[in-house]
Amino acid sequence: MRPTHCPGPEPSSKPRPTLLAPPTPARGRGGGVPLPHWPAVDRHDGRDWQSALVFGVLRSFGVFFVELVAAFEEQAARVSWVASIGIAVQQFGSPVGSALSTKYGPRPVVMAGGILAASGMLLASLATSLTHLYLSIGLLSGSGWALTFTPTLACLSRYFSRRRSLATGLALTGVGLSSFAFAPLFQWLVSCYAWRGALLLVSALSLHLVACGALLRPLSLREDPIVGGPAAQLTSLLHHGPFLRYTAAITLINTGYFIPYVHLLAHLQDLDWDPLSAAFLLSVVAVSDLVGRVVSGWLGDAVPGPVARLLMLWTALTGVSLALFPVARAPTALMTLAVAYGFTSGALTPVAFSVLPELVGTGRIYCALGLVQMVESIGGLLGAPLSGYLRDVTGDYTVSFMVAGAFLLVGSGILITLPHFCSPASASKPWDLVTEAVDTAVSRTRDGLGED
Amino acid sequence: MSALPGLWGLRGLRGLRGPPPALRLPLLLLCLLASERRSWADGNTTASPLTSLPIPEVMMTKYSNLFLESHNISLTEHSSVPVEKNITLERPSAIELTCQFTTPGDVNSINVTWKKGDEQLKNYHVNATGGILYTQYKFPIINSEQLGSYSCFFEEEKERRGTFNFGVPEVQGKNKPLITYVGDSVVLVCKCQHCAPLNWTWYSGNRSVQVPLDVHMNDKYVINGTNANETRLKIMQLSEDDKGSYWCHAMFQLGESQESVELVVISYLVPLKPFLGIVVEVILLVAIILFCEMHTQKKKMHTDDGKEFEQVEQLKSDDSNGIENNAPRHRKNEAMSQ
Repeated sequence: MRPTHCPGPEPSSKPRPTLLAPPTPARGRGGGVPLPHWPAVDRHDGRDWQSALVFGVLRSFGVFFVELVAAFEEQAARVSWVASIGIAVQQFGSPVGSALSTKYGPRPVVMAGGILAASGMLLASLATSLTHLYLSIGLLSGSGWALTFTPTLACLSRYFSRRRSLATGLALTGVGLSSFAFAPLFQWLVSCYAWRGALLLVSALSLHLVACGALLRPLSLREDPIVGGPAAQLTSLLHHGPFLRYTAAITLINTGYFIPYVHLLAHLQDLDWDPLSAAFLLSVVAVSDLVGRVVSGWLGDAVPGPVARLLMLWTALTGVSLALFPVARAPTALMTLAVAYGFTSGALTPVAFSVLPELVGTGRIYCALGLVQMVESIGGLLGAPLSGYLRDVTGDYTVSFMVAGAFLLVGSGILITLPHFCSPASASKPWDLVTEAVDTAVSRTRDGLGED
Repeated sequence: MSALPGLWGLRGLRGLRGPPPALRLPLLLLCLLASERRSWADGNTTASPLTSLPIPEVMMTKYSNLFLESHNISLTEHSSVPVEKNITLERPSAIELTCQFTTPGDVNSINVTWKKGDEQLKNYHVNATGGILYTQYKFPIINSEQLGSYSCFFEEEKERRGTFNFGVPEVQGKNKPLITYVGDSVVLVCKCQHCAPLNWTWYSGNRSVQVPLDVHMNDKYVINGTNANETRLKIMQLSEDDKGSYWCHAMFQLGESQESVELVVISYLVPLKPFLGIVVEVILLVAIILFCEMHTQKKKMHTDDGKEFEQVEQLKSDDSNGIENNAPRHRKNEAMSQ
């Protein structure tokens, strides 16, 4: 029977966005977008829940972190590896998830990913040493998340074209919202069932990924047979100039993007802010991040022309606000900068994902997204330690914030080299780019086969 | 014991008035003799604090081996509520309590008394300076009976009271119960904020009936503490019988204080039931989703013809992709016409 002294819901402990934020721009879910076809609405809802379940769980891991340190009597650094391994496996396994989705469609891949993630958590609840946790949560759940996340987000681009950015933006709000919901939920589970029982129930929660995967109805698009299987797609992508430039830009952006997540709180403490005000500032950043995602999503669809321009705009603004952080000392200035940073960094995430289908076409989107995630995660993994190193060398965060801003500005500069960036807005529509990609692929296949 | 008031009396005199210079040296000699006698008799109980605890910065004379604690309370004619002060004492100390009372009226008409609980006390000093009435009571606390509440009373038309509550330091356990599983191990911690008890002991049971733990079972119980102000009890190989309250006792020279930590041991089956419930729910959800989809597809197959269905599907996916219908179809026709 449930322990009778199970306390009521604890006051919500703020999820730490620091060490546990995934190195790639956070994703999420929002509400359903009303569209004429009900299957599309269902799929959007399904995708919403999926991102929430993957990254909400990761971000709220801080609750378990404290319990595991006490239960296994291990150092904090060693316990942190559990989450880090999980995130790393999810990132580097993205191409595998994408390749499998290209071949078999997203539905079976995501459902399998859900089962893997849930079984990882199930085994973790039976763990008797930290190594068990590395293997179960890190490896098993991590691979489950790898099979779930990328195919879902790529799927979004295939289903939506007219309102792609808004759909992506709404989907990406889910992580923030789920972090707020999952952290208190996990805290309550831990206080009622201790960490073993809580992990068991989180495993049951993760099993809903299977249900979400079931919602992803298979879709075959015109260019699918043309672009071929995963191997062919990968080789064609690696020869695709704009794609490579985009990946480089995104990697640079990623390097700078996460530094404030990790170091803003420490920077505020250096400036002698009290912890409550600092936490409040972080909440403000989180809220403006959410608003930025939705607004940018809507804007991406409403504004004509390639979405890459908007991405460049938001990235440049984020870079500028980051570089200005060390200059601001007064609380009002810091608060304004925090809102600006939150809004612009949230704004750049949905457009970052929307640019990709415009570049490579929806036929190759799975593989493309998988590759981009794998490469950009290198940037994300390097960013925070680099910033920490700069701080140790120089004594405060001035240089590291400026370097982060510089990375973002350089990344946005590379974006200017993308095709059709400077064409007049009215002339080119995003879908022309897709058909152009299809045309290129079609002509290449034809040349390869020889004219009959 | 009888010499002590004399010793403190000298200090008190120094503080308030000061003896005339001629009397100082003989008085000092008298006090030195008195203190020697005292330390003979009570040496055992009072000498030990010095060897194990740090020497405080305030020491009255070379021969006093008790730490001095001074506390005071201010009362005015507006203090209708008794003023209380809580003081924690770890070791035997010499106490100096001062109450001061400010009133615009005549200070000499006020009756001053000191009480410990209900018992009247003697040997206190009263002094009036300016419009403020001071009273001071000095005494040692060297055993647990001397702890308690000491009050000073100022009797005017209304009685004003100031109370000093002496007690041993409190120990902190944990308010929330610790939840663990059968077969795991758990560490129970008791901490004392700013004190260093002489030793710690652990008991199990409830407040009235406490059973000491068998610490010789090394594979079951391990007690250690990294600092003097905390103790850790590690219980291994937990079973359902181990649940209940565990009490940690902190022993001080002046008494002991205790606190409880509650342990709950549950089996793995407890969270397993909601888990299985949720798994069943997910299976049902998946079944419903897939069934609804197959059902809708079948309906479409029945309403349209086969080929038409394909075209409709194609059109539908065109729409949802928003790819321009003209160009690709044009190209397709081109390809077909070749």
